[in-house]
Amino acid sequence: MAGKRVFVSGVGGELGSTVAALLEDEPWVGTIAGIDANPPRRRLARTTYHRIHPDEHDRIVSTVIDFAPHVLVHIGVWEPHSRANPADAAMLTDRATTSILGAAAECSSLENVIVRSGTEVYGRARGALSRPSETAPLRPTSQYGRTLVALERTAADVGARVGVTVGVVRVASVIGPHVPSPLGRVLRLPAVPFAFPADPPLSVVHQSDAASAFVAAASVGLSEPVNVVASEAITASQAARRGRRIPIPVAGPGWAVTRALTHLVGAPIPDHVSEAFTRGRLADNGRMRELLGITPQRTTPEVIDDLHSWPSIVRQPARKQVA
Amino acid sequence: MTATPSATPSAVPSASGGDVVSIDRLLRRDTDAAADVVSTVSDSVARVPLVGSLGRTVSSAGAAAGDRGGDLVRSVGNALGAAAGTAVDVTTAGVRAATARLTDEPTGALDDWGRDPVLVRNTMLLAQLRWDVTTGGDQVLPKRRGALIVVNSPRWALAPLFASFAISEAVDRPVRFVGRPDDPLLGSLARRLGGLLDHPDEVAGALAADELVVMGTERTGLVGASARRVGPVDHTVIGAALATGTRVYPAATSSGPSRRSRVEIGPATRRPRTRRGPLAELELADRVRNEISDLLDELGDIATGTPLDWLPIVTLGSR
Repeated sequence: MAGKRVFVSGVGGELGSTVAALLEDEPWVGTIAGIDANPPRRRLARTTYHRIHPDEHDRIVSTVIDFAPHVLVHIGVWEPHSRANPADAAMLTDRATTSILGAAAECSSLENVIVRSGTEVYGRARGALSRPSETAPLRPTSQYGRTLVALERTAADVGARVGVTVGVVRVASVIGPHVPSPLGRVLRLPAVPFAFPADPPLSVVHQSDAASAFVAAASVGLSEPVNVVASEAITASQAARRGRRIPIPVAGPGWAVTRALTHLVGAPIPDHVSEAFTRGRLADNGRMRELLGITPQRTTPEVIDDLHSWPSIVRQPARKQVA
Repeated sequence: MTATPSATPSAVPSASGGDVVSIDRLLRRDTDAAADVVSTVSDSVARVPLVGSLGRTVSSAGAAAGDRGGDLVRSVGNALGAAAGTAVDVTTAGVRAATARLTDEPTGALDDWGRDPVLVRNTMLLAQLRWDVTTGGDQVLPKRRGALIVVNSPRWALAPLFASFAISEAVDRPVRFVGRPDDPLLGSLARRLGGLLDHPDEVAGALAADELVVMGTERTGLVGASARRVGPVDHTVIGAALATGTRVYPAATSSGPSRRSRVEIGPATRRPRTRRGPLAELELADRVRNEISDLLDELGDIATGTPLDWLPIVTLGSR
């Protein structure tokens, strides 16, 4: 069981590098390799990092095939307006998914694939379940949701074709220090919009809990979807009040103006975040313990409190003034 | 001008020096113990403004008595103060225990289903203006596991809502109700009050999470005989209970023009024999409906004590 080769895509991001760091401590993991367009955000002791852009299809394929992984953890997913605009995010996610999963399918050593997805796949159409479980139908109503459903289908096809198990980790909006989250950016604004009068509940997950879920999924060889969501929920206005922000009621066409304004101040609202504000977003995390053997360490209000407690800008004065 | 316990015994004339010493020790011990108790009581009552002043009055009275009448009187005064303080302490502890459930609920957050405990608490207080509900049979409900409670639902009676409030108060657990609309106004409000969509998967999710869920039968008429019958039970929701292995409890609700209302929960409905298809949920739904009808017969009509009882109409879900 020990000595498995684990390949992590998206290892440069905050979540990917945290997953790699946790995998390094796992006794069953032998060697770890990872790719990303940007270098890892933290020091990784025994992870081999390859800096490859998603467009470099041939390099991705050769790198994955040369490594011949037993387990592939595919975290290379671009959330719209996290680090790329929605169109680029969808394109990059699609290219990375096709290249990495396609290359992994060529490896005879491959045993298990773990892919990152999100609770956006359930959609929030009228009449949609308030708190969908893993068995709920996938009816995405946002661009990000549709991207994730396509990703899940690609992974399932690859798994069926080469006969490996595919586990899908459907995470809520991941929030944590340095995580480029569009939802987190909006909630940290001095004035936070909320849908009036609905103000529906939404839930998030802390970056460390999400990372633990990916490691647990790889460890147990997850072969089905699982929702990874922090307990409890919060509304946008409650989040604003907890963080001593000004809650601004917004209704109907006011959202278009709000989106434009927040975009100007550096916190653009993609459609899946807008949907969470206006329709809410919860998911049933009841199977986390059963399938992964873990439960989230932080509740949604605690994650939001953490979000507000991070310092905005840490100014470090120069040790020696030279100019 | 406070007399110290160590100085006073030497001034007491006595034929036996040993007795004086032992009395001195006794008084010292009692006085110290009483002082400790009074201190504790003062601390505890200080948290409650009204009783705090009472505790301070009793303490100062004990101290004043001690000044005037020497150590013995002082210790008696302190003991009285301590006794009164203890009684106050017990009372405040009781009040604190009684309000613990309310004060321990989180504020500024919702539960996993979007229910707002603070809003529910305030709405329950407000609902008491309309309904004074007596709940019976709540002891048959599971303490921790989930359960589906089916209530009769006359039109406009809001039976699932007031039943969920009443049962929640009786069993001290969050209780959800089925039938919230999915719109931004009423739907959002209902969701914050614990409402679930009328969808079998939504109910199944709540039951699988060991929640107590109240659902209404199909609505019946407002007046006359139609108000006295129980509407059909949605078998698809009953199917959710069967799928999750959750017990189904019939409950009869009774409310009238006055505030007096009643929720009577019956024992869990016995499941029909195992069926391979959806017949099981149909049979269980029929059985629940019959048992609610029986419960309503046992409950009888509600009497308001007013001339309204003489009228032939049975309004707002009364039986």
